[in-house]
Amino acid sequence: MTSSPSDTEQAEQVAHPLQDFADELAGAVGGTVEIAFDSVKVSVPAENWVQAHLTARDDYDLVFFSFLSAIDWARDVAVGDPLADEEVEERIEVISSVADVSEGKRVTFSCDLDHATPTIDSLVEVYAGANWHEREAAEMFGIDFRGHPDLTLLYLPDSFEGNPLRKSFPLLSREVKPWPGKVDVEAMPEKPSTENPGA
Amino acid sequence: MAIDQDTLRHMSEASVSVELETQDMTLNIGPQHPSTHGVLRLVATVDGERVFGVRPVIGYMHRGYEKLSEVRTYPQITALINRIDWVSGYANEVPFIVAAERLMELEVPERAQFIRLILTEMARISSHMVFMASYPLELGAATPLFFALRERERLLDLLEGVTGGRFHPNFNRIGGVKPNAGAGPTQKKTPQDLPAGFFEETREAMERIRHAADQLEDLIAGNEIIRARTKGIGVIPPEVAVAYGLSGPNLRASGVGFDLRKTENYLPYHLFDFDIPTGENGDCYDRWWVRLQEIRQSCRIIEQAIDGVPEGPLQAKVPKVIKVPAGEVYVRAENPKGEMGYYLVSDGGQGPYRLKIRSASFSNISVLPWALENVLVPDIIAIMGSLDFVLGDVDR
Repeated sequence: MTSSPSDTEQAEQVAHPLQDFADELAGAVGGTVEIAFDSVKVSVPAENWVQAHLTARDDYDLVFFSFLSAIDWARDVAVGDPLADEEVEERIEVISSVADVSEGKRVTFSCDLDHATPTIDSLVEVYAGANWHEREAAEMFGIDFRGHPDLTLLYLPDSFEGNPLRKSFPLLSREVKPWPGKVDVEAMPEKPSTENPGA
Repeated sequence: MAIDQDTLRHMSEASVSVELETQDMTLNIGPQHPSTHGVLRLVATVDGERVFGVRPVIGYMHRGYEKLSEVRTYPQITALINRIDWVSGYANEVPFIVAAERLMELEVPERAQFIRLILTEMARISSHMVFMASYPLELGAATPLFFALRERERLLDLLEGVTGGRFHPNFNRIGGVKPNAGAGPTQKKTPQDLPAGFFEETREAMERIRHAADQLEDLIAGNEIIRARTKGIGVIPPEVAVAYGLSGPNLRASGVGFDLRKTENYLPYHLFDFDIPTGENGDCYDRWWVRLQEIRQSCRIIEQAIDGVPEGPLQAKVPKVIKVPAGEVYVRAENPKGEMGYYLVSDGGQGPYRLKIRSASFSNISVLPWALENVLVPDIIAIMGSLDFVLGDVDR
């Protein structure tokens, strides 16, 4: 139940039941498709971003806006593990998830953006619900959503600087005290750090 | 000079409009208002009793779980995420654990899956019972609170007996579930199981829940005041609901009969028989009604699950240090408040590379600026309460 034909060998033998749907959709929006664990992920170029969502909504009945967020693929890591895979290039990957409300089909759209100045068109005109999700992604990752009606901070206080979900953004509690965290893999600190008093 | 009534009325109206030039007022509601279930601030533009627009201000409870997850191991994260929606803490854990298990391609023992399902449905009932208690209270009816919270408390007792926690069970392990220390002999080779009598007591509890649901229906469904305040108020049409990502009972109240329990396979719901109650008008009353029906459906599911719960281990064999193979997966579940999902990106380490938490209440209240346009001030509370959100689930 928890596993699906995910390893490539099996996938080659038996085509995934969603393969036809995924290929057709990817062709219609000009993207490349990847199916893993019963999810369809379609990567589209930035210039097709809005058009792809329009097509998905109007032609494929994917009317339900689930979420929009981003992944920071970075080498400069302030907390957590750096990327294990050397091949991965630095980028901000925007992901959005849309679904239908009848059969349970769901598609993740993905788009790679420049790591330093990520910019992409806003989806607010296509899915009204994208409004808050884009504000969140904007403050957390520093993405500029062109055409967004009100790209102000959502969670963070007005005077906040920085983009907290960027991998380069330090986590203050970890700066002063590595524990608690991945105790099993990290050495305990030699002595309590005094560098950030009052943090 | 004799002035007839009509002229007098015209004169008075004219003078009012000239002398009292009205001005829109900005009304601040919250952040600490009892009906906000946490700390939510609304900045409303009002003219008298009429509301023109509302700007919700959130973030007072933002705890940065997505960032914290990047420095925690998988087993540690369940302790964080069951504080997202604290009214149904157990249900939050399941999709995350299932996401990790999918990447690990782990087969979870059937008994563990059944227990997860039973506890998830109990979390749903207890969450809906809080709504059944608080929503009428916000509209001025105090009595249902006592009926609803009494049954919820007994349900929480049962949950506590199994998991050790009323609100934050932290009961799921990757590969299964873990009963608390008091559950039977703990010697090696003797598998731990649930506390004795749990299934019988749960079955009895379901009887009481059904009875409480009937009582709540008697108290609310025919109440003139409640009907006047909820019927036709806060109508959200289905096309608006889906565009804003409204999910769960709020979506079904708008007439969309969609339930992730029927389409996703995160728990074995396909083995059980249950209906999806849907509303007709998408108003506040329908959102209340759908939740009441869902309590009854959850009772049905739990009773069937207890009948069919198989024997066997509660935990699959997993390595001592859990590492999740590299990959990306999104698992979404039908939580009491709606679609809760985890987009898990692993790079093969002991903790996620990135964990996007899709919580139901965030999308559910993002519709507020739309829904609170051109309503009356008292309707703000009626509409907001009917969406049944928890600020921990909004802010994460």
